[in-house]
Amino acid sequence: MNGLLTIWPARWTRQQRSTATISVASALLVLFMWLVARPLALLPEPIGPAAQQFAEGTRVTVWLTLAAGLLGVVLGLMAALAKLAPIPPVRWAADFYVWVIRGTPLLVQILFVFLALPMVIPGVQLSDFNSAMVALGVNVGAYNAEAIRAGILAVPKGQTEAARSLGLSPLQTFADVVFPQSFKIALPPLVNNVVALLKDSSLAYVIGVVELSNIGNRIQAATFQPVPVFMATAGIYLVLTTVLTQISGAIEQRLDIEQRH
Amino acid sequence: MSHVHPTAPSAARTPLIVAERVNKRFGAAHVLRDVSAQFFEGEVTVVVGASGSGKSTFLRTLNRLEKHDSGRIVVDGIELNDSCKNLDAIRREVGMVFQQFNLFPHLTALENVSLAPRRVRKTPRREARRAALELLTRVGLQDHAHKHPFQLSGGQQQRVAIARSLAMQPKVILFDEPTSALDPEMIKEVLDVMKDLARSGMTMVVVTHEMSFAREVGDRILFFDHGCLLQEAPPDAFFDDQRNDRIRAFLGQITH
Repeated sequence: MNGLLTIWPARWTRQQRSTATISVASALLVLFMWLVARPLALLPEPIGPAAQQFAEGTRVTVWLTLAAGLLGVVLGLMAALAKLAPIPPVRWAADFYVWVIRGTPLLVQILFVFLALPMVIPGVQLSDFNSAMVALGVNVGAYNAEAIRAGILAVPKGQTEAARSLGLSPLQTFADVVFPQSFKIALPPLVNNVVALLKDSSLAYVIGVVELSNIGNRIQAATFQPVPVFMATAGIYLVLTTVLTQISGAIEQRLDIEQRH
Repeated sequence: MSHVHPTAPSAARTPLIVAERVNKRFGAAHVLRDVSAQFFEGEVTVVVGASGSGKSTFLRTLNRLEKHDSGRIVVDGIELNDSCKNLDAIRREVGMVFQQFNLFPHLTALENVSLAPRRVRKTPRREARRAALELLTRVGLQDHAHKHPFQLSGGQQQRVAIARSLAMQPKVILFDEPTSALDPEMIKEVLDVMKDLARSGMTMVVVTHEMSFAREVGDRILFFDHGCLLQEAPPDAFFDDQRNDRIRAFLGQITH
């Protein structure tokens, strides 16, 4: 879906259009979080009276996604670099992390952080929100690691050779030459992971985080009207994922200097 | 009082690069066998030989893109070994131009040329960009400074790559088959830039199949065969008075 990118005047450059899309979509996301209660309040029973609750749930879902997403990118980058490290134990640690996280259910991971972690490490009792954030972030980080690693490996070896033969240090070569090129390659799968994360954040419901799905379930339980309630809940998720893909599409277009799309 | 100069005229012949009995294996393949050679300042050395003769590998050992297994390589008085400090110091003095150009695709021509001076020499941005534009002018690409590599022809990309290596003001530039990936009509523009460089006194080591370039610009020809440095000769003797049958056969294939 190209949506926003195509509505700008034709004489605008690609960069202006992507900048406009990124700003408008980000503004829409913020506005939506602040003001979602207003349009919902106009809807009939059972949505209208519960508009404030829906708005609160939406905000929690978005914050949870943003915080876990940020943690996931940091962990993913670290794990990707560790997987490519020349020191075997570092590689093994990263492989172990990805193996365990991808091989176990996210639901179990969330429950583990909230219920089991305080017993494993006495004194560490995270709040329900923080537990969900840590579990989701660690989970998406394992998937991000693969995406980022593939991006780094896709940059031709000649790029590193050229940078090193100019006298750039290994760190400068990574920062100035390899990373910018691998980021462009890794971006689509990373966004995929964040969209999946937004939806998976609904699992935080099981440890009592009052996010969007939890709100939906509470309201349907109180009103006995599951059809409109879950349709509204799903509709809000759909708006959020659409805005996310719009932003990422614009970033992709901005990085695509060869204009292949 | 007489002052004794440590650099007598004869010292001008101190080689910039010395390779002694260099060996290199890729698994079972012995690609460099006891190769010894010297490269002098201001000299253009052309390295020729069949594909797989080890000439590119030898060139790549000179700035340690390939590690040699045994022997010694000394560049500008610094020995090439596992010490990282030596390596960075040497790579600043030794430029390299690749067959596939290897320009950075996410940067403009100007940014490609100014990146290394800014990062390695810490040249201020404006100064680095001014110097880069000067170099792009020197290779005839001042009007393309703000284009990305994909917007340039192969010949133009290779000229940007030459400007990029010149930006570090190296003492020697290694050329690894710089025209082999180019369409015939673009070879000349790159060779012309290289000839200009040679005339300006740049020390160059050039691996190439362009025999007319070797004859016209080369001060010395090195011929590689099956990993050995088979012959080292001035161009006249190499092309016009060749006694070695193996090399005569090679030249026959190349020029006819």
